Amino acid sequence: MPYELIAVVMFAGMMLMLMTGQRVFGAIGFVGAVAGMLLWGTGGVEIPFAASMKLMKWYPLLTLPMFIFMGYVLSESKIADDLYRMFHVWMGPVQGGLAIGTIGLMVLVSAMNGLSVAGMAIGATIALPELLRRGYDKILVTGTIQAGSSLGILVPPSVVLVLYAMIARQPVGQLWLAGVVPGLLMATMFIIYIYIRAKMQPDLGPAMSHEELAEYDEISTHPLRLNFIVLAGIVLVPLLVKFDVIAPKSAIGFALGAAVLGFATRAMPLFYRDVFLKEKHRLLFSGVLPLAIFATMMVPFVNGWTSLVESSAIGAMTAFIAAILKGRMNKAVFETTVRSTLGISCMFMWIILAALGFGAIFDGLGAVKAIEDLFTAQLGLSPWMILILMQLSFIVMGTFLDDTAMLVIVAPLYVPLVGALGFDLIWYGVLYTITTQIAYMTPPFGYNLFLMRAMAPPEIGLKDIYISIIPFAAVMVVALALIMAFPQIALWLPDLVYGR
Amino acid sequence: MPKLILRYIRAVEAMNRVIGRFAMYLIFALIAVLLWSSVSKTFFNPSLWTLEMAQFIMVAYYILGGPYSMQMGSNVRMDLFYGGWTTRTKAFVDAFTVLFLMTYLGILLYGAVSSMAYSLGYFGLEPFSFFGDIIVAFFTEGPSAAWGKIGYIERSSTAWRPYLWPVKSILCFGVFLMLLQCLAELFRDIGRLRGVEI
Amino acid sequence: QSTIKWRMQTYAGTALAEHVVKPAIDMFNQIAGDRMQIELFYADQLVPTGELFRAMQRGTIDAVQSDDDSMASPTEVTVFGGYFPFGSRYSLDVPVLFNQYGLNEIWDEEYSKVGVKHISAGAWDPCHFATKDPIRSLADLKGKRVFTFPTAGRFLSQFGVVPVTLPWEDIEVALQTGELDGVAWSGITEDYTVGWADVTNYFLTNNISGAWAGSFFANQGRWNELPEDLQTLFRVCCDQSHYYRQWWYWGGEASLRVNGPKMELTSIPDAEWKTVEDAAVKFWDEIAAESPTKAKVVEIFKKYNADMQKAGRPYRYG
Ligand code: NA
Ligand code: NA
Repeated sequence: MPYELIAVVMFAGMMLMLMTGQRVFGAIGFVGAVAGMLLWGTGGVEIPFAASMKLMKWYPLLTLPMFIFMGYVLSESKIADDLYRMFHVWMGPVQGGLAIGTIGLMVLVSAMNGLSVAGMAIGATIALPELLRRGYDKILVTGTIQAGSSLGILVPPSVVLVLYAMIARQPVGQLWLAGVVPGLLMATMFIIYIYIRAKMQPDLGPAMSHEELAEYDEISTHPLRLNFIVLAGIVLVPLLVKFDVIAPKSAIGFALGAAVLGFATRAMPLFYRDVFLKEKHRLLFSGVLPLAIFATMMVPFVNGWTSLVESSAIGAMTAFIAAILKGRMNKAVFETTVRSTLGISCMFMWIILAALGFGAIFDGLGAVKAIEDLFTAQLGLSPWMILILMQLSFIVMGTFLDDTAMLVIVAPLYVPLVGALGFDLIWYGVLYTITTQIAYMTPPFGYNLFLMRAMAPPEIGLKDIYISIIPFAAVMVVALALIMAFPQIALWLPDLVYGR
Repeated sequence: MPKLILRYIRAVEAMNRVIGRFAMYLIFALIAVLLWSSVSKTFFNPSLWTLEMAQFIMVAYYILGGPYSMQMGSNVRMDLFYGGWTTRTKAFVDAFTVLFLMTYLGILLYGAVSSMAYSLGYFGLEPFSFFGDIIVAFFTEGPSAAWGKIGYIERSSTAWRPYLWPVKSILCFGVFLMLLQCLAELFRDIGRLRGVEI
Repeated sequence: QSTIKWRMQTYAGTALAEHVVKPAIDMFNQIAGDRMQIELFYADQLVPTGELFRAMQRGTIDAVQSDDDSMASPTEVTVFGGYFPFGSRYSLDVPVLFNQYGLNEIWDEEYSKVGVKHISAGAWDPCHFATKDPIRSLADLKGKRVFTFPTAGRFLSQFGVVPVTLPWEDIEVALQTGELDGVAWSGITEDYTVGWADVTNYFLTNNISGAWAGSFFANQGRWNELPEDLQTLFRVCCDQSHYYRQWWYWGGEASLRVNGPKMELTSIPDAEWKTVEDAAVKFWDEIAAESPTKAKVVEIFKKYNADMQKAGRPYRYG
């Protein structure tokens, strides 16, 4: 069979199988395995399994269950509740302020987990009902949450960028940093959009009155618990490092030790003190928590003291301990967290397993060469045209292909080509991430849309969800165009930190 | 539905649930190994085995947890059309397409068994008969005869050099459990078509 | 008659394969034309390197370029492929050992037992450390996580080195993410070619082996199916590849040490390095004790090095 035909048959077969609604990994795995059996020749039947060995050795995949676990600890233990209320109180008096606050919440949640699922869950369970109750427009709110949760894979840590890093053979640290400014830029653009809309149509997002906020000006009954060991750790460890008393690397051990001691002494009155602040200020203080979790993970990583996978384990542990220290890790939360982590991790791993097998067979049968040939030789396009065409094809494919599967199957075809055309692969990683995000939230179908539909209350219909996304998708396209035109938006921070 | 099939469904799902719930807690083993890796690197000599050990745990985590995750309905489907169908239509289509999924798992299982046989030193093309021979030899001529069938035992090409048959046997076992689970799903769907919710 | 098609996978990633194998395969395809075409795949592309041997034996892949050690071949000679510590000093030592001292015959015999055709072995570069922090004494090696060959790793761990094995293409990233402190995998030519020079700072001039030994292999059945002239053509192209590497590395090592801008050279004094050389003698004896075949190969290495010593300059100095 000619290469082009193999490429077409395998892709069409996969599309058809996906349409039947069978589990994604089964659909992809089946097409790959059968193609291997029929077209490869001797030994083709072994490739689907060889993919499991490949997957095992792909060490950054170890971060996947870690980040999923972190996300569930955050959303299930509701330690994000205080975060939400913080934005609620401080932003509420502004027109559309609660929606703006939701974007802020999403930025912080994004800094604590690697996927968009957790952001979606937190947004849909905490922010959504509250905003509807306060008379916010349901379309504005739905769009805000979907757009905000898409920041989860752009702001570090990001599982998608880890997978991209593995495929493009680019450093994860630089990719993560490259996502920071574009992520914040996109968040800012969302906020500007919401602010303007709410100014023009005040009934979309009514400002909260003073009466509604009064309760927050009272002394809180929920004290802020200060554990002296943890506090001493926070103050002493950086000082000891600064004055060369301990090596920077050892700081990890001391910090871990302080955390464990803090956990052990959480109920011993000698070691902590409850502080009663005004509710408003207590909430502001609890906003520090995600930054602390983010720092325990990112500081050792960016400095090279711990590796990527080790850092992800430290992050998972820190989030877990934080939930315990806040008294939110009860039996039910623990059960849901651990079980859901297994479910989602298995979903990802089995899709990646099937997609790796599909990809190797697709490649070995010569289909990859056919596609490269099509883009470079046969169409005779300029590099920029090819790049834009690829982005468009992602949007089309994102309508029927699962995001993880798309990454594992399609990115290996495109990324080497992008590199060969002379584009920066770090920059392209950011473009790729934003493009796929647009793909998953644009109608008629997309992964984020399905999630939203599953989580939204009944008064929000499918049509509302579809309409809600249009302005935000437009904002993302503008952001994408800006980053394409000015690569420095993405590359400035990694250049600064790593001195590329 | 015949009693036997009902019993099969219950037994398989109970077993997969127990195994899956065991796998579920491996996340903490994974965290522990990686934390030890960073601590040992910071304070002592870095450990030789942590990365590979973490990879083995990860394999056990998703392979043994797979059937349980299927019970929980965690595996995404593209529900563009599927989402709009009635339960009956879903069951009808699923009962058909789950055969494709089982084909994939069957091929995966063949590869796993073949690779497992290789890891025990069998270089031929009939892995199933290799294991058959071992089992026959074990019962007719005793353990040492069975051991005699085993050849060069594969080790990982790292300095730690762990044997690979343990992780490969986990893979064989996990894929087999997935097949059992799929068969249970198939029975369930046939039940639904006949109007029985199991 | 239809074109014979082979899939071949190398242990090397794209950038390195550009020199160590691709020219020879392009040449083969050009000459063989419609009669036979070999499609070349790179490190971990179709199957992971650890599964290469198995894939070739099973026929999933028709031919392989690798050392015995990396692809974990289930033979008695595996430890000697790749970098056998202090087994050779110059890259010419490798072809002489195989062609004149009898290693070819041993390799052929060992691989025939496991259904694989050993076509020919050739030399690559010496094995040096490239690290983020400088190594100026043996103590500096302690606790360094280093990407290296399995056997070299076993040998080096007695000096506190922590050998790590990862997919070859991931090494550059692993150096940046802190998974690794350095590599002991190649000479300076590869450090520059594959990009490791960009993510490490120091190059240690002492080496633990003067030349890597790597081979071309094929699935026995597929090899037997080839007409004799195509077998000969394949052998000739492999030899061409061995020849290309001979001068590419030899010249590259010297040129980059002298002119390369990215890495600073450091050395461990000869007297101190003697400890490592002495440890290798012990290591050889440990390996020889493992089996008769291994003892035979170690014997050949000993005889060869003794002969070179006696021959004097330019074979050995001092
Ligand atoms: Na994130
Ligand atoms: Na080398």
